[in-house]
Amino acid sequence: MDFVVETHDLRKYFGSIHAVDGVDLSVGRGEIYGLIGPNGSGKTTLIRLLIGLLRPTSGSIRLLGEDMPNKAILAQTGYMTQASALYEELTVRENVAFFADMCGKYDPTWRDEVIELVNLQDRSRSLIRTLSGGLRQRTSLACALAHKPRLLLLDEPTVGVDPQLRATFWSYFRSLADTGITLIISSHVMDEAERCDRLGFLRQGKLLAEGTPAVLRNQKGTTTLEEAFLQFAVEATEGGE
Amino acid sequence: MNLRRVLTITRRVMRQILRDRRTVALIVFAPMLMLTLGAILFRSDPAPIPLGVLNVDQGVTSPIVGTIELGQRIVDELAASDDLAVVTLSQEEVDDRLRDGTVEAALYFPEDFTTSFVANRQAVLDLLLEGSNPMRSVTITAHVTQAAMRGLAGLAGTGFGVPSVPQATEGETALPVSVQATYLYGGEEFDTMDFVAPVYIALLSMFFVFLLACVAFLRERSQGTMERLAATPATQMEIVLGYMLGLGLFALIQVAVILFFTIWVIKIHYLGSLSLLLLVIALLAIVGVNMGILASAFARNEFQVIQFVPLVIIPQVLLGGTFWAVQDMPNFLQPFAYIMPIYYANNALRDVMLKGWGLAEIWPNLAILVGITGVLIILSSMMMRREVS
Repeated sequence: MDFVVETHDLRKYFGSIHAVDGVDLSVGRGEIYGLIGPNGSGKTTLIRLLIGLLRPTSGSIRLLGEDMPNKAILAQTGYMTQASALYEELTVRENVAFFADMCGKYDPTWRDEVIELVNLQDRSRSLIRTLSGGLRQRTSLACALAHKPRLLLLDEPTVGVDPQLRATFWSYFRSLADTGITLIISSHVMDEAERCDRLGFLRQGKLLAEGTPAVLRNQKGTTTLEEAFLQFAVEATEGGE
Repeated sequence: MNLRRVLTITRRVMRQILRDRRTVALIVFAPMLMLTLGAILFRSDPAPIPLGVLNVDQGVTSPIVGTIELGQRIVDELAASDDLAVVTLSQEEVDDRLRDGTVEAALYFPEDFTTSFVANRQAVLDLLLEGSNPMRSVTITAHVTQAAMRGLAGLAGTGFGVPSVPQATEGETALPVSVQATYLYGGEEFDTMDFVAPVYIALLSMFFVFLLACVAFLRERSQGTMERLAATPATQMEIVLGYMLGLGLFALIQVAVILFFTIWVIKIHYLGSLSLLLLVIALLAIVGVNMGILASAFARNEFQVIQFVPLVIIPQVLLGGTFWAVQDMPNFLQPFAYIMPIYYANNALRDVMLKGWGLAEIWPNLAILVGITGVLIILSSMMMRREVS
């Protein structure tokens, strides 16, 4: 099977800090892969490495069958962070159109579809600076989708989002995955982890364990993913000492 | 009013500033740098000003004191001055030497110079000035007048001497020396504003777009959209060029406003073509945009952008030939003028506005401005790449 995302022994060191420390990742088409770990576990660094915002210290990355770094492949990937990162003086539709254009894939019909998908059609002509945090976050997601990416890298997209919108976001994610789009989503919220197809537990830059939520729970015989994560963490600490 | 709260705020403000090392450095070192630069510029011994002299004075022969050649006496005094470098010229050379800048003024003593002094008790100096820099003209006139006064003072006791009590006419003290100045460039109808206008226009064209570009580019990074852009196929060079064109358009609007306001409302006199003026300041404005983009890479917030004003703009003013002529600067400072973009714009604008020169004469300055733009674009792109580490 061809993987959409493949890394081999990926490492990123900032001086003595091993932010990503030998990660092997394989994510298939249409999968929702959750990178789960506490703050500082290396989730953001890993995602920034994948999208080419950071250069790895060592190791390799392949996205959509192409070796990274590769600027052209970024036309087929979408990226979103917890900070909404939008142009305040532009409207919702102008922001969406701009990022689509940057990838050379601007299409007004698709722009409107994307805005509808995140349910912003009524605010499509509003300036970003007049929007609330939740609406901005939805615009941000629309920008990440504006160029019909085949792969979405979302770094804690639901941080600071209210529970209702978070549920809406996850239903968007599922419907995107159903159309064959691959999603890598980082989170430190365990109830979000339950909604992923497959999880990677990340701690101190290393993958502790990988598998579907059910498999990970069963491996440790726990009822929640949170407990499973803690057990894996304890095991890693003891094993290391 | 709660003093404790006031002092708590005081302490917090102090802490914040102390943690921003660059601000601390700016508070401490920027004034020292500015003062040193000022002291160097004001105290520097300017290079001697090349002064052309054409002396055909026949002198006057008196049976009592022998021959007096006043023209020669003044020339000797001029030659003795450390501030002037006297060059003897022939009639044919005067205009060419002034035009190519190898002399900055020419002093002419006619055949009857001494004779008319004896008759009128008044030495009238015929001084032809290059004229494109009024400060320079004033300095030269002053040096020439002083030398002439010394020359006359040497005549005391010869019977030709200076009247012991200057005669007052129309409420003014009549000096025995007067300068009749004519100008190769500029002239009577040109006032100080006309002479300052070229550098003033240049400074304004650069200053505002520099700040605009600096803040605009900084905001791209602080609001996170730069990171988002970096995650698209857009290259650093494309981003820099896009900014340059977008901001450049507004820079051009400003350039047009500055130029048309200066010409039609302030009503300055200028020679040369208007479209050439537009071209020069448009080029300088584009340089300003690119300097702003580059500078913003070194700033983390708007406050730090303001810090670039003393660091980037003031040296342009002090060292770029804006108000101090570069040839008056100490030798070790002069190379700095040649890395100031505004130096080339100042040259080009003075040449066009005061001398009426055309593209054929000023193109080297324009070519250098284009080159600086290219270098800045490349540097800005490299700075952005450095952020992806």
